[in-house]
Amino acid sequence: MTITGTAPQLSDRVLAELTDALGGEYVLTSKTARYNRARVPAPFPVHRWRERVPDLVVLPGSAEQVAEVVRIANAHRIPIVPRDGGTGLTDGAVPERRGIVVDVKRLDDIKEIDLDNRTCTVGTGINMLKLNEVLGAHGLIYPDDPASYPCSLVGGRIGTSGWSLVGSRFGHTRDLVLSFELVLPTGKLIRVGDGGGRKVSKSSSGYQLKHLFMGHQGTLGIATEATLKLYPKPEAEFSPFWAFPDFDSAYRCVGELARAGVATFAGAVLFDEWKVDYLRRDDEAYIPQPADVRALVCAVAYGNDDEVRAGGRRLLRIARDAGARYLGDEISHGDWAARHDRYATPLHGRTPAGQVAPMSWHCEDAAINYTNLPAVRREWHSIVARLRDKHPIFDDWGMFFYTSADTGVDYLTEIDVGIWEQELDDAAWAAWVDAKRDIAAVALNHGGSISACHGSCREGEVDLVPLELGGGYDVMLQVKRALDPNNIMNPGKYGLQRAYEEAP
Amino acid sequence: MSAYRFEEQHTPPPARQVTDVAVERFEHIFEVDPKLMTVHVAQQLFPNWDTLRIAASRGDHLEWMHRHWAAEAVSGQKLLDELDAGDGDR
Amino acid sequence: MTDTEPTTSAGAAGGNGHEPVTMEFLADWRNAAYNCFSSGHKFCREVCPVMQVTRNESWTPTAFHANVVAMEQGELTVEDVAEDYVNCTQCGACELRCPNTLFTGDFYRFRTRTVDLVKQMRALAVDNGVHQPGYRRWNELTDERTHEPVLGDVPVSQDRVRDWAEGLDIPIGGETILFVDCEAAFYRTSVPRAVAQLLQRAGYEFGLMREQWCCGGPAAEMGYRDQSRRFAEHNLADWRASGVKRVLVLDPHDYITFTEDYPAYFGDDYDIEIVLVVELLAQFLAEGRLTPTVPIERTITYHDPCRLNKRKGIWQEPRQILRAIPGLTFHDVDRVTQWSYCSGGGGGLPVEKPELTARISASRLDKAAELDVDTLVSACPWSERPLSEAGEARAIDVVDIHELLAESVGIEVGGSTGR
Repeated sequence: MTITGTAPQLSDRVLAELTDALGGEYVLTSKTARYNRARVPAPFPVHRWRERVPDLVVLPGSAEQVAEVVRIANAHRIPIVPRDGGTGLTDGAVPERRGIVVDVKRLDDIKEIDLDNRTCTVGTGINMLKLNEVLGAHGLIYPDDPASYPCSLVGGRIGTSGWSLVGSRFGHTRDLVLSFELVLPTGKLIRVGDGGGRKVSKSSSGYQLKHLFMGHQGTLGIATEATLKLYPKPEAEFSPFWAFPDFDSAYRCVGELARAGVATFAGAVLFDEWKVDYLRRDDEAYIPQPADVRALVCAVAYGNDDEVRAGGRRLLRIARDAGARYLGDEISHGDWAARHDRYATPLHGRTPAGQVAPMSWHCEDAAINYTNLPAVRREWHSIVARLRDKHPIFDDWGMFFYTSADTGVDYLTEIDVGIWEQELDDAAWAAWVDAKRDIAAVALNHGGSISACHGSCREGEVDLVPLELGGGYDVMLQVKRALDPNNIMNPGKYGLQRAYEEAP
Repeated sequence: MSAYRFEEQHTPPPARQVTDVAVERFEHIFEVDPKLMTVHVAQQLFPNWDTLRIAASRGDHLEWMHRHWAAEAVSGQKLLDELDAGDGDR
Repeated sequence: MTDTEPTTSAGAAGGNGHEPVTMEFLADWRNAAYNCFSSGHKFCREVCPVMQVTRNESWTPTAFHANVVAMEQGELTVEDVAEDYVNCTQCGACELRCPNTLFTGDFYRFRTRTVDLVKQMRALAVDNGVHQPGYRRWNELTDERTHEPVLGDVPVSQDRVRDWAEGLDIPIGGETILFVDCEAAFYRTSVPRAVAQLLQRAGYEFGLMREQWCCGGPAAEMGYRDQSRRFAEHNLADWRASGVKRVLVLDPHDYITFTEDYPAYFGDDYDIEIVLVVELLAQFLAEGRLTPTVPIERTITYHDPCRLNKRKGIWQEPRQILRAIPGLTFHDVDRVTQWSYCSGGGGGLPVEKPELTARISASRLDKAAELDVDTLVSACPWSERPLSEAGEARAIDVVDIHELLAESVGIEVGGSTGR
């Protein structure tokens, strides 16, 4: 059958079945419960909020309850949207066709800490910072570190295949999650990993299903439990920040740092002139910097004390030889520790006249190879400049480039754009969607991927996903239809409704 | 110990212009130039204790975040001094 | 409150069916609510005591702001949202941890004010005739008795408000008076007894208030702002009439009321000096005016009262006091970790949802139990009742810091700890 735009009206019978399965306390129908689960951080036209509101919300307390909810929804052909932290930037957790939001935050227990094999098994509703407060007592850490580290949840990291700020050292979510349990769109509970073992990091047995069920933005199932790879809590952290008089010398330096093969290297970041100008608006570290500071680089290392120091000397020597000026311990320590907090402040926004205006932070990201960063930078800034010329409610907050791996092959490339949603009308929104599509096209023209970090299922960029993935996109359609015959799991995302409209 | 007195709390120190867009009233605490917050967003009534509370809490939070991730934050300046002295340059 | 006149009409212009009082509220809160709504990350959530135990996103600080945006858009009404705002202890963790406070609040002189928002939304509900039954009853009884009904069916009254001081020979009036909150005056009387005797031992001159009413803070917290203001006016008038210049406060909740609510009510006319007793005692220790000598053989941890640590940044002085007491083994937990801790006893939560308060206290005691302590020390009488109840199941004693210091100074405190 074909599922059309809106969900069938939820009948009393469905409500009764859900209440039987979960208990009435955990089936929420109030308007506030529903409106507050239509939101993610990505900006949208607030006057269209009602278009995204689900019919009801459930808060299951176990994997079995999640499975039961999915079975009920599948039987009645009701859309389901999984929700973890709801901190994603590509609308994965936003209901596009109403239905039932399955909010898994109650699945937040720590089921096992295996000190000998260095793993832990948790409910997917747990937050990484809170988990690490517990693991710290055992001298361990789960080093999955998104900008949303203090509030995003393990399950959302799986559903979005998250990117980590220290991924160049410890890997990203896909590397750190050894295996997980998930509820398929039919309500069946399975476990996927590298092969069958719960705590296996490398297997050659069977298809590698773990990757298939990561980053699907809630279209293929709901993760309910995960077994995670743990590291010793680092003895030492090293996070030097350097200033440069121009972008080109900073760009050369970051490349050399990333290619140096330092084993404790956890990442390097390059900030361009626009970003530095933006930091001068309100960042205590950059307000007093002299005018000839026009680009910044930082590097980060974690590990055993002796190894971090040895690697640190090498990184400092590379930077010194590349003409970098070290900004000192206070800025270096402070800026790195503030890495989760500096982004999302609306008052960063400025009108063309320089007045403070509350703007929502949005970042367009892509995965771009090192050699293509300068070209992408030029083209992206031009796109945003044209946008601001027409609609002054947009503001260019600069770009940064962040290593995704330990070899310097590709960078999370991000342009941050302030968007004044209070003033956002349909025309400005349409212009923004066009700009997003243009930004994604630049990434593809330069041999990159539309997203390294956030996902690519929002309006605008999502149009180009079939182009990016080519024949792989057809496989996505086939997989979707095979696993979700009734299109109940997060329908409308990634254009996957096509799987049901025509034979792929 | 500091007793609360209304008049004291609502008399901020004079502002020193730091850049075109920032001023400084308390040592090492920058503030936006108030002229930038006259059209779209107005500043709140801010007793002195609140400014100082936030700045101190920020420092405590940053320190906490370092300790959360690693036992020690290595000083780049010390390593750089060693490099410049020639004894770390291998 | 926070904003000047809104500069754009947006959704609010048409009224969206709201009452004028609601329209005024929305104009006041428009930018503040949007400043939260449009922030990328919600660092408030995992430090919120209610969210930690319920995991219900409808009851998060950011939802409280988003509801205002939705009201402005005409999507929600005060009737839709009022009940959700019960789920808050006004501990202040959310608004401190918010990057808009912690990283840029001082820079812009514009910070997240979730506690104010919760109070104002509760008041807006009352203005719109939407009452929570527990709050209404509590405030009616407070109004009748001039004190909060902290003893349940056992009446509290003006004649009994100084009973805790029996035998201590404290004068009435004077330039400096000790203000004792309702919970300490009627329920945990050991706390004011300890404080008064410590002050006497240090040779510090003070009296009791002539006609003390409830500070009015709880009424403001629950949305009954006219009543709160009436109580405040009574107390200030009484202080003025009897020549009071300085008010000593032992309760963190009173400290908030006297340094935030009263200044908002009275502005430039507010000329009373407010002194927090725990800070004064730390100063006495530093000056040698008090010296704890009696060893107290307990293994303790300290519970940072939310209104001191989170809302006022006061966390060092209590630790100075505890470290001066001989015999204690002190397993401290740092102040930032404790931004996530709460007793659940504040903001009227135990009035309307005692079961939620109990879950939050139980969670706090679980944290203490992990440290293998036999005693949890607090500095807030309102936290001590729910914490003590949770402590019983874990064989952890809950003691007030003033009681502990008094014991170590050799004072027989007397009074009741409520058990």
